[in-house]
Amino acid sequence: MPYYRCYVPDDSVPFEKRKEVAKAFTDIHCGSTGAPRNFVHVVFLDSEEADHPTPYYIDGGNRAGRPVEVREKLLSDLKSAFVDITGISSNQLDGRITEGRASWTMEGGHVLPEPGEEGPEWYEHDAVEAAAD
Amino acid sequence: MYHFNCIIQEGVIPDDLRPELVSGLVRVTTSVLGGSPGDVDVEFTVMPHGYAFRGGEISTTSTVRGTIPPGCQQETRVQLMQEICDMWMGLTGCSVYELVISARDRE
Repeated sequence: MPYYRCYVPDDSVPFEKRKEVAKAFTDIHCGSTGAPRNFVHVVFLDSEEADHPTPYYIDGGNRAGRPVEVREKLLSDLKSAFVDITGISSNQLDGRITEGRASWTMEGGHVLPEPGEEGPEWYEHDAVEAAAD
Repeated sequence: MYHFNCIIQEGVIPDDLRPELVSGLVRVTTSVLGGSPGDVDVEFTVMPHGYAFRGGEISTTSTVRGTIPPGCQQETRVQLMQEICDMWMGLTGCSVYELVISARDRE
Protein backbone atom coordinates (compact mmCIF):
# COMPACT_ATOMS: atom_id res chain seq x y z
CA MET A 1 0.00 0.00 0.00
CA PRO A 2 -0.83 2.54 -1.20
CA TYR A 3 -2.43 0.82 -4.18
CA TYR A 4 -4.02 3.07 -6.80
CA ARG A 5 -6.19 1.48 -9.45
CA CYS A 6 -6.86 3.76 -12.39
CA TYR A 7 -9.87 2.53 -14.34
CA VAL A 8 -9.71 3.87 -17.89
CA PRO A 9 -11.48 3.03 -21.17
CA ASP A 10 -9.53 0.43 -23.11
CA ASP A 11 -6.42 1.84 -24.85
CA SER A 12 -7.39 5.42 -24.00
CA VAL A 13 -4.18 6.25 -22.11
CA PRO A 14 -0.91 5.44 -23.93
CA PHE A 15 2.12 4.01 -22.16
CA GLU A 16 4.03 7.28 -21.81
CA LYS A 17 1.01 8.93 -20.20
CA ARG A 18 0.47 5.94 -17.90
CA LYS A 19 4.07 6.19 -16.75
CA GLU A 20 3.72 9.93 -16.26
CA VAL A 21 0.59 9.42 -14.17
CA ALA A 22 2.34 6.74 -12.10
CA LYS A 23 5.29 9.04 -11.40
CA ALA A 24 2.98 11.94 -10.54
CA PHE A 25 0.91 9.78 -8.18
CA THR A 26 4.10 8.58 -6.50
CA ASP A 27 5.36 12.15 -6.09
CA ILE A 28 2.01 13.35 -4.75
CA HIS A 29 1.52 10.47 -2.35
CA CYS A 30 5.05 10.60 -0.96
CA GLY A 31 5.05 14.40 -0.81
CA SER A 32 1.80 14.36 1.12
CA THR A 33 2.46 11.48 3.47
CA GLY A 34 6.23 10.99 3.64
CA ALA A 35 5.82 7.33 2.68
CA PRO A 36 8.68 5.55 0.89
CA ARG A 37 8.40 5.78 -2.91
CA ASN A 38 8.69 2.03 -3.22
CA PHE A 39 5.39 1.65 -1.35
CA VAL A 40 3.38 3.28 -4.12
CA HIS A 41 1.66 0.96 -6.60
CA VAL A 42 -0.28 2.33 -9.57
CA VAL A 43 -2.09 0.03 -11.99
CA PHE A 44 -4.31 0.73 -14.99
CA LEU A 45 -7.38 -1.40 -15.56
CA ASP A 46 -10.13 -1.45 -18.17
CA SER A 47 -13.10 0.54 -16.90
CA GLU A 48 -15.46 -1.97 -18.50
CA GLU A 49 -14.40 -4.40 -15.75
CA ALA A 50 -15.93 -2.19 -13.07
CA ASP A 51 -19.11 -0.29 -12.41
CA HIS A 52 -18.14 3.31 -11.72
CA PRO A 53 -20.10 6.54 -12.24
CA THR A 54 -17.49 8.02 -14.60
CA PRO A 55 -15.47 6.50 -17.47
CA TYR A 56 -12.24 7.31 -15.63
CA TYR A 57 -11.99 6.40 -11.96
CA ILE A 58 -9.21 6.39 -9.35
CA ASP A 59 -9.74 3.73 -6.68
CA GLY A 60 -7.09 4.13 -4.02
CA GLY A 61 -6.35 1.90 -1.06
CA ASN A 62 -4.23 3.43 1.69
CA ARG A 63 -3.11 2.51 5.15
CA ALA A 64 -5.62 3.59 7.77
CA GLY A 65 -4.86 6.32 10.25
CA ARG A 66 -4.51 9.57 8.34
CA PRO A 67 -6.82 12.55 8.95
CA VAL A 68 -9.77 12.92 6.60
CA GLU A 69 -8.49 16.26 5.30
CA VAL A 70 -5.21 14.62 4.28
CA ARG A 71 -7.06 11.96 2.29
CA GLU A 72 -9.31 14.55 0.67
CA LYS A 73 -6.36 16.73 -0.35
CA LEU A 74 -4.53 13.66 -1.62
CA LEU A 75 -7.44 12.57 -3.80
CA SER A 76 -7.94 16.10 -5.10
CA ASP A 77 -4.26 16.36 -6.07
CA LEU A 78 -4.30 12.92 -7.73
CA LYS A 79 -7.37 13.82 -9.78
CA SER A 80 -5.85 17.13 -10.85
CA ALA A 81 -2.66 15.41 -11.95
CA PHE A 82 -4.57 12.75 -13.86
CA VAL A 83 -6.62 15.37 -15.71
CA ASP A 84 -3.55 17.50 -16.48
CA ILE A 85 -1.54 14.58 -17.84
CA THR A 86 -4.22 12.76 -19.82
CA GLY A 87 -6.09 15.82 -21.05
CA ILE A 88 -9.50 14.40 -20.21
CA SER A 89 -12.28 16.60 -18.92
CA SER A 90 -12.51 16.70 -15.13
CA ASN A 91 -16.16 15.66 -15.25
CA GLN A 92 -15.10 12.34 -16.76
CA LEU A 93 -13.11 11.46 -13.63
CA ASP A 94 -14.09 10.55 -10.12
CA GLY A 95 -12.40 8.58 -7.38
CA ARG A 96 -12.15 7.53 -3.79
CA ILE A 97 -9.59 6.49 -1.23
CA THR A 98 -10.43 3.65 1.11
CA GLU A 99 -8.34 2.48 4.02
CA GLY A 100 -7.10 -0.84 5.33
CA ARG A 101 -5.13 -1.78 8.39
CA ALA A 102 -1.38 -1.62 7.91
CA SER A 103 -0.99 -4.74 10.03
CA TRP A 104 -2.90 -6.79 7.46
CA THR A 105 -0.24 -6.31 4.77
CA MET A 106 3.34 -7.52 4.39
CA GLU A 107 5.86 -5.91 2.05
CA GLY A 108 9.55 -6.67 1.82
CA GLY A 109 9.02 -9.52 4.26
CA HIS A 110 7.77 -7.24 7.03
CA VAL A 111 4.35 -6.23 8.27
CA LEU A 112 3.67 -2.64 7.21
CA PRO A 113 4.16 0.01 9.88
CA GLU A 114 1.39 2.42 10.73
CA PRO A 115 1.48 5.69 8.74
CA GLY A 116 4.24 7.95 10.05
CA GLU A 117 5.97 5.14 11.93
CA GLU A 118 8.23 4.00 9.06
CA GLY A 119 11.75 3.47 10.34
CA PRO A 120 14.81 4.09 8.15
CA GLU A 121 14.82 0.46 7.03
CA TRP A 122 11.70 1.13 4.97
CA TYR A 123 13.58 3.68 2.89
CA GLU A 124 16.61 1.47 2.19
CA HIS A 125 15.15 0.00 -1.00
CA ASP A 126 14.38 3.51 -2.27
CA ALA A 127 17.99 4.49 -1.63
CA VAL A 128 19.31 1.43 -3.44
CA GLU A 129 17.16 2.15 -6.48
CA ALA A 130 18.12 5.83 -6.48
CA ALA A 131 21.81 4.89 -6.37
CA ALA A 132 21.32 2.55 -9.33
CA ASP A 133 19.73 5.29 -11.46
CA MET B 1 -13.93 -19.40 3.12
CA TYR B 2 -10.49 -18.20 2.01
CA HIS B 3 -9.99 -16.22 -1.19
CA PHE B 4 -6.75 -15.15 -2.84
CA ASN B 5 -6.41 -12.81 -5.82
CA CYS B 6 -2.87 -13.06 -7.15
CA ILE B 7 -1.98 -10.03 -9.27
CA ILE B 8 1.10 -10.84 -11.31
CA GLN B 9 3.02 -9.06 -14.04
CA GLU B 10 3.02 -10.39 -17.60
CA GLY B 11 6.15 -12.39 -18.30
CA VAL B 12 7.39 -12.41 -14.70
CA ILE B 13 5.79 -15.62 -13.41
CA PRO B 14 5.84 -18.55 -15.86
CA ASP B 15 2.36 -19.92 -16.59
CA ASP B 16 3.38 -23.44 -15.65
CA LEU B 17 4.18 -22.31 -12.10
CA ARG B 18 0.62 -21.33 -11.35
CA PRO B 19 -0.62 -24.79 -10.32
CA GLU B 20 2.28 -25.07 -7.87
CA LEU B 21 1.51 -21.62 -6.48
CA VAL B 22 -2.14 -22.60 -6.03
CA SER B 23 -1.11 -25.80 -4.28
CA GLY B 24 1.25 -23.81 -2.09
CA LEU B 25 -1.44 -21.34 -1.10
CA VAL B 26 -3.84 -24.17 -0.31
CA ARG B 27 -1.23 -26.01 1.76
CA VAL B 28 -0.10 -22.97 3.73
CA THR B 29 -3.60 -21.65 4.35
CA THR B 30 -5.09 -24.90 5.58
CA SER B 31 -1.99 -25.56 7.66
CA VAL B 32 -2.10 -22.17 9.41
CA LEU B 33 -5.84 -21.44 9.52
CA GLY B 34 -7.40 -24.89 9.28
CA GLY B 35 -10.13 -26.05 6.94
CA SER B 36 -9.91 -28.21 3.86
CA PRO B 37 -8.40 -27.60 0.41
CA GLY B 38 -11.88 -26.98 -0.97
CA ASP B 39 -12.17 -23.92 1.28
CA VAL B 40 -9.38 -22.13 -0.59
CA ASP B 41 -10.22 -20.22 -3.75
CA VAL B 42 -7.36 -18.79 -5.84
CA GLU B 43 -7.56 -16.58 -8.92
CA PHE B 44 -4.85 -14.90 -10.98
CA THR B 45 -4.96 -11.48 -12.59
CA VAL B 46 -2.21 -10.90 -15.14
CA MET B 47 -1.23 -7.26 -15.62
CA PRO B 48 -0.10 -6.55 -19.19
CA HIS B 49 3.41 -5.13 -19.49
CA GLY B 50 3.37 -1.38 -18.97
CA TYR B 51 0.12 -1.26 -17.03
CA ALA B 52 1.51 -1.61 -13.48
CA PHE B 53 4.03 0.62 -11.77
CA ARG B 54 5.77 0.70 -8.42
CA GLY B 55 7.56 3.80 -7.22
CA GLY B 56 6.81 5.30 -10.63
CA GLU B 57 8.65 2.57 -12.54
CA ILE B 58 7.39 -0.54 -14.30
CA SER B 59 6.55 -3.09 -11.66
CA THR B 60 7.78 -6.66 -11.36
CA THR B 61 5.91 -7.09 -8.08
CA SER B 62 3.39 -9.83 -7.43
CA THR B 63 0.55 -9.04 -5.06
CA VAL B 64 -1.25 -11.80 -3.18
CA ARG B 65 -4.46 -10.32 -1.82
CA GLY B 66 -6.02 -12.67 0.66
CA THR B 67 -9.42 -12.49 2.33
CA ILE B 68 -9.94 -14.56 5.44
CA PRO B 69 -12.73 -14.92 8.00
CA PRO B 70 -12.86 -12.15 10.62
CA GLY B 71 -11.40 -12.72 14.04
CA CYS B 72 -7.96 -14.03 13.15
CA GLN B 73 -5.31 -13.25 15.77
CA GLN B 74 -2.57 -10.96 14.47
CA GLU B 75 0.13 -13.50 15.33
CA THR B 76 -1.63 -16.10 13.17
CA ARG B 77 -2.18 -13.58 10.38
CA VAL B 78 1.54 -12.74 10.34
CA GLN B 79 2.43 -16.43 10.28
CA LEU B 80 0.13 -16.92 7.29
CA MET B 81 1.63 -14.00 5.38
CA GLN B 82 5.20 -15.04 6.23
CA GLU B 83 4.66 -18.64 5.10
CA ILE B 84 3.04 -17.45 1.88
CA CYS B 85 6.03 -15.14 1.35
CA ASP B 86 8.50 -17.99 1.86
CA MET B 87 6.53 -20.34 -0.40
CA TRP B 88 6.13 -17.78 -3.20
CA MET B 89 9.79 -16.74 -3.16
CA GLY B 90 10.90 -20.37 -3.13
CA LEU B 91 8.82 -21.27 -6.17
CA THR B 92 9.26 -18.13 -8.26
CA GLY B 93 12.75 -17.01 -7.29
CA CYS B 94 11.52 -13.46 -6.81
CA SER B 95 13.13 -11.19 -4.24
CA VAL B 96 11.39 -10.24 -1.03
CA TYR B 97 10.95 -6.74 -2.49
CA GLU B 98 8.90 -8.11 -5.39
CA LEU B 99 6.10 -9.47 -3.27
CA VAL B 100 3.22 -7.85 -1.40
CA ILE B 101 0.90 -10.02 0.64
CA SER B 102 -2.25 -9.07 2.46
CA ALA B 103 -4.61 -11.08 4.62
CA ARG B 104 -7.68 -8.97 5.22
CA ASP B 105 -10.78 -9.80 7.17
CA ARG B 106 -13.73 -10.65 4.98
CA GLU B 107 -16.36 -7.88 5.21
